[in-house]
Parts: sequence; structure tokens; C-alpha cells
Amino acid sequence: MDPLDLHLLSELEGGLPPVREPYEEIGRRLNLTGSEVLERIRKLQNAGIIRKFRARINQRRVGISANALVAWKHVDSLNGDMGSLLASYPCVTHCYERLPVPGRWEYTVYTVHHGYSRDAVLAEIGEIADHICAHEYVVLFSTEEFKRVPNVRVRENGSNTA
Amino acid sequence: MTGHPLPDETDLQILDALQDDIPLVPRPFEAIAQRLGIPEQVFLDRLERLLEEGIIKAISPILEARPMGLCASTLVALHVPDERVHETAAIINGYPGVSHNFRRDHYYALWFTISGKSEEDIQRVLAEILRRTGIPGRDALNLPTIRKLKIDVRFSFLNDEEQEDNYGPA
Repeated sequence: MDPLDLHLLSELEGGLPPVREPYEEIGRRLNLTGSEVLERIRKLQNAGIIRKFRARINQRRVGISANALVAWKHVDSLNGDMGSLLASYPCVTHCYERLPVPGRWEYTVYTVHHGYSRDAVLAEIGEIADHICAHEYVVLFSTEEFKRVPNVRVRENGSNTA
Repeated sequence: MTGHPLPDETDLQILDALQDDIPLVPRPFEAIAQRLGIPEQVFLDRLERLLEEGIIKAISPILEARPMGLCASTLVALHVPDERVHETAAIINGYPGVSHNFRRDHYYALWFTISGKSEEDIQRVLAEILRRTGIPGRDALNLPTIRKLKIDVRFSFLNDEEQEDNYGPA
């Protein structure tokens, strides 16, 4: 990655403008042509620096207002790896394994769920729990959002609008 | 967050399509509009409105943590008395390594993530947060990431059948 790539990522982080030739427009700000911009984006994708390139949606604004983090206790009797199993459910948007705090917090697998209502989210979680016979888990619904920006950012806030 | 109309069917199609990778062609929105069977200009007008209304935050690359030098991350839970939640959250928000910070329905009321160059880097930030907020260590859970198994925020807006699909494993 050269300094120009970093500039490009910084411009792209602000978002593609809603115009016919958005890469051309981004290029103008960096003295690059549209095809040079596209070439650099392809390279950054191939190098594994850009994982995805797509719209970030404000889920609350489309009515997806229930958001739950679920902390699961590991089920030893599971045939296979619990993290991968939980991650395989399409409704799970995030799945992480984390260290426990022995004696205080024994949960090690975490999933994130989104839905139009708490009931819908609880139903979905209950169904997964039944499927995999995991009955020790805590559902943590969010009640207030203080910060939500991409975890990897070139600019401090991740965009001009965050 | 109230007072805005919810997106209509065409908006939802656009939102759905824009969650796939944006085509790397000179006129990417023309390509997507064609796929949806709507004129490019209609697509662009709607896209502009969805951005203005904040329904779409941005169309932007999602970067991988490691190549950008972020090699460690953790989730922290804090027990915070109700009346101190907002001031505590404001202090936590001030750290650039913090990307997500939510209040949740639990004894541990604040849940936030920290990313950093190394475990030590994260420990240092967490220690500073605890010192500045006055939250004792016994009221904090530090839950370092061992494995990221899935990071895939994609919302399906198209129809109920696809929502149903969400119930079984892939």
C-alpha cells in the first residue's frame, strides 16, 4: 500500500457519491483517472485489504430496531465446533469466540442478531438454542447506541457523516 | 428517528442490491439499476435520497483489520450505575479504538469493543478508561477475541420467504 492508496481509502470511506461515474469523481479529488481508481481498488481487494465494498445501512431507519448480543456457554457434548456451528446460521450476523473471566463470566461464544421486534429475535435465538441443545446463554438486547462505526477506519470517524 | 417514511418496495430492492459488492466498472449504478430493471437516473435519485435521509450511511469499502495494523480486539462489559451511564459512555466514545458502544439490558450495562495494535495496546486503553471513569476492575469484564468466525452484516429486505430461510443453518 502506498500513500496514494491510503488517500484513496480515506476518500472512499466518505462514500461513493450518487453520480453516474462515481470512481471518476473520486479520482478527480486525487488527480487520478476513473480507471486508475478502479485498478487500485482491485489491487486492494486482491491484497485482502478491502474485504467488501458495499452500502452500510442504518438498520434502525428501516425498522430493524431489535439488536441482541448473545453470550453462550460452551456445550462440550456438541458434535463439532460450537462457534462454527453458530456462525453457520444465516440470521447470525457476527460470531466470535472470546476468553471467559473464570469464576465471574463463563461465556465464550458470542453471536449478534437483528430483527424487527424483540419477540422475533428471541424466537430465532430460542430456535437455535433448541437445535444445538445449548441452554445456558444470556440475551443482551441493546437499549441505547452510543457509538457504531466500522472497526477499521482510515479517518477517525469512518466517514464524513458518522 | 421518527417522522421519516419507511422505504418503499423499490427502495428495499435498492438497499438489498447495494449490500452486494459494488461492481468495479465505470458506471456501477447503471449496472445495478439495469439488474433491477429501473432507469439509471431513477436509481441515482433514490440513492441520493436514501443517503440524505441517512438510511444508507455510506457506500464504502470494509477493510480487513490485520493488514491495517489492528491485530488485537476485545469486548468489554462494565457494570455502571444508571445515573452514570451517559457520562461513562461519553468518555469511552472518545477513544478511536472503540468502534461499538451500546447500553444493554443487563447488570453489565455498557458493552463496547476496543481494537488495537496489540494486547498491550488494548490493556493500556482499558486501564485508562477504568481510571478516568472511576469504574473498579471488579465491575469490568474484559473478553478478548480469540476467533472471529463471522462478520457479515447483511439485511434481507426482499420477502418473507428469505426471512424464513434465516432459521436453519446454511
